[in-house]
Amino acid sequence: MPSPDLQRIAITGAGIVSPLGIGWKANEASFEADRMAFRPVPSDLFGVEGFVAKTAGIVDLPPKVPMPIKTCYADRGSVMLMLALREALAQSSRSTMEGIDAMIIGTSAGAMSLGETYFETAVSDPGRHRRQLSRAEHYQPQRQMNEIAAELGWRGPIIIVSNACASGANAIGWGVEMIRSGRAKRVLAGGYDALAKLVFAGFDSLKALAPSGIPRPFDAARDGLALGEGAAVMILEAEEVRKAEALADVTGYATATDLHHLTQPDPLGNAAIRTMTQATRQSGLTPADINYINSHGTGTPFNDVAEAQAISAWAGEATSRIAVSSTKSAMGHLLGGAGAVEAVICLMALRGQWMPASLNVREVDPAVKFDLVRTFRRAKVEHALTNSFGFGGTNATLVMKRRSA
Amino acid sequence: MNATGLHINGVGAVSPAGWSSADLLRVVRGKEELPVTNCPRPGIERPWPCPVRTVPSAPPEKQVRHPRFRRVSAISRYAAAACLEALKDAGFETPPPRLGILFVMMNGCVNYTGRFYQEVLDNPAQASPLIFPETVFNAPASHIAALLGADGAVTTIIGNSNAIMEALDMAAVWLSCGACDHCLVVGAEECDWLSAEALTYYHEAHIASEGAGALLVSAGGKGPAIQRITGPLAFHSWKERNELIPSLALPASILIDDHDGIAKHDAAEAAAWSHLEFKTRHSPKKLLGESMGASAALQLVLATLESREQQTSVAVSMPGYNTAAYACVIGHSAM
Repeated sequence: MPSPDLQRIAITGAGIVSPLGIGWKANEASFEADRMAFRPVPSDLFGVEGFVAKTAGIVDLPPKVPMPIKTCYADRGSVMLMLALREALAQSSRSTMEGIDAMIIGTSAGAMSLGETYFETAVSDPGRHRRQLSRAEHYQPQRQMNEIAAELGWRGPIIIVSNACASGANAIGWGVEMIRSGRAKRVLAGGYDALAKLVFAGFDSLKALAPSGIPRPFDAARDGLALGEGAAVMILEAEEVRKAEALADVTGYATATDLHHLTQPDPLGNAAIRTMTQATRQSGLTPADINYINSHGTGTPFNDVAEAQAISAWAGEATSRIAVSSTKSAMGHLLGGAGAVEAVICLMALRGQWMPASLNVREVDPAVKFDLVRTFRRAKVEHALTNSFGFGGTNATLVMKRRSA
Repeated sequence: MNATGLHINGVGAVSPAGWSSADLLRVVRGKEELPVTNCPRPGIERPWPCPVRTVPSAPPEKQVRHPRFRRVSAISRYAAAACLEALKDAGFETPPPRLGILFVMMNGCVNYTGRFYQEVLDNPAQASPLIFPETVFNAPASHIAALLGADGAVTTIIGNSNAIMEALDMAAVWLSCGACDHCLVVGAEECDWLSAEALTYYHEAHIASEGAGALLVSAGGKGPAIQRITGPLAFHSWKERNELIPSLALPASILIDDHDGIAKHDAAEAAAWSHLEFKTRHSPKKLLGESMGASAALQLVLATLESREQQTSVAVSMPGYNTAAYACVIGHSAM
């Protein structure tokens, strides 16, 4: 059982924007249909000439999203975050952020596209340019978030976590720890990242992107990931102050650092074993109690085998009974947004009693000993776990529990 | 526990003053004038001045010999030296087990980021896969973790010049929930032509700088403690900031302020603290330059050193630029 001293933490609102759709319902419908979201990167985002990969999971933003930031300085990622934030507030029966003690947001690139424009302008002409100050200012993610906070009339600590692909999960975990420690009663936490040329080029240079554009997590012949973009946030509340309906509880969180290599995981997944062990223990659970894992599952050769081995080592005899999928197979790798989006997908699975699929698998990798979910499945989900692993070795695991009606 | 009550048991610093906290203290106490150079721009001459104060070359004993540090950028080298000094200062000849790391920055690895993006613009097919990973914000924290064998909680925070206060708050949470027994909180930044030029858009008299300040904090210990914190006082505009700053002022014997020597930046802060008397007042930014994510870390290192050496309380003013303002007092509980 979890420690009786552990603060019960409810999720009372969530918002999600992904390449599969804007909002909970659109994403749920896409998962039910086993839909994929990959398409050529449009030239108005950036050109892909010279890159091996040409496609990504791209969010179709509405033509006009009311933003507090001037259009030319509003990063796509911030727009996505604003949409997710509004959905989360509405779900939590709020029109403002009043009562929220902290805003903790993960991102790996921030407003990178503004930085790119700043750089291109600077190298094209050494003179001074009128818009460079605003570009430099709005390149900073805390500035973008502060303008969103201003729009909502909210004043409080804005904390930007940047642990690469684990950023969103760490931000939610940090919110959990703040509430558990008594530092906060209500936290808005999540993550986002928009596609950016520099980041796309980086993964392309590492030969980490699937040349076909189709990621195949846990396939024996997988050849890389696909990038995506998106945002998700959750409103976390200490149970004793909760007024809105609880959608689920966050029962466990753990983070650890894999010291093996800057970009490659420890082949045995030792840090992942530690985070899964600690997060389930904190939840008062054993691996056998976990019904569904939303894996990090990027589709790269190194990641998937390390994660599969870590799950087997952690779950032991229970491995074959645990259902696992990678939703990156449908929407791509959302980097700083991935952990938050995948946590919200777990929340959706707990609420809807279903499991999203790992798509595109032709032959399952022999390292996979768990129950790989290959098509959308209706199933009992009482406890869900999500893993996030980032460049630099940051590993994070969140465990969530269904709230019975 | 929040960050109030945290003990700062070790400090380390790398700055234009040199590769130690003693260098920092000497330069600030002596108000030594450090050299200013014009930041060169690759490829093409800039028709306006872009002054910088950079960190001098590392002495041999400060060069980190670890496989991860073969090609890291300056920010990681500065942070590593500051962290190692802080650990040693706290009495740890080898890193303690269960060590957490919180790394704070505003710009991060700008040298490699600019270089990689130029390669992408030149020819994406030839952009270096060795450089890209070093552009990621949390690469320096990862290198420090590998150097120190810290395999637990390690996090990077992006933020305003005073975001180290958010990191200290998190360090307190980690310590109270048992995520670590000690925590290194480091703010670091490296200077390059892009960030130096960006600073001149804020004000042409800005002098861009770089460096790292590291604090080894624990729930107990012999080092001075953070006795009081004001903030975060969140603001949405420069006007709101200036209206909030008067709430920052805290009494102490010594004040480490945030003045950068630019009147329009300093006026509100100067007025806010003017009703209090201090035995000594330091303005490190006037001597070192604007090191963004590292600047408040260096202020806190200075405050800790002064508190230790003079056995007195030291106030630190950190009004920040674009999200929130903070101040704190560091001292010994027996004072």
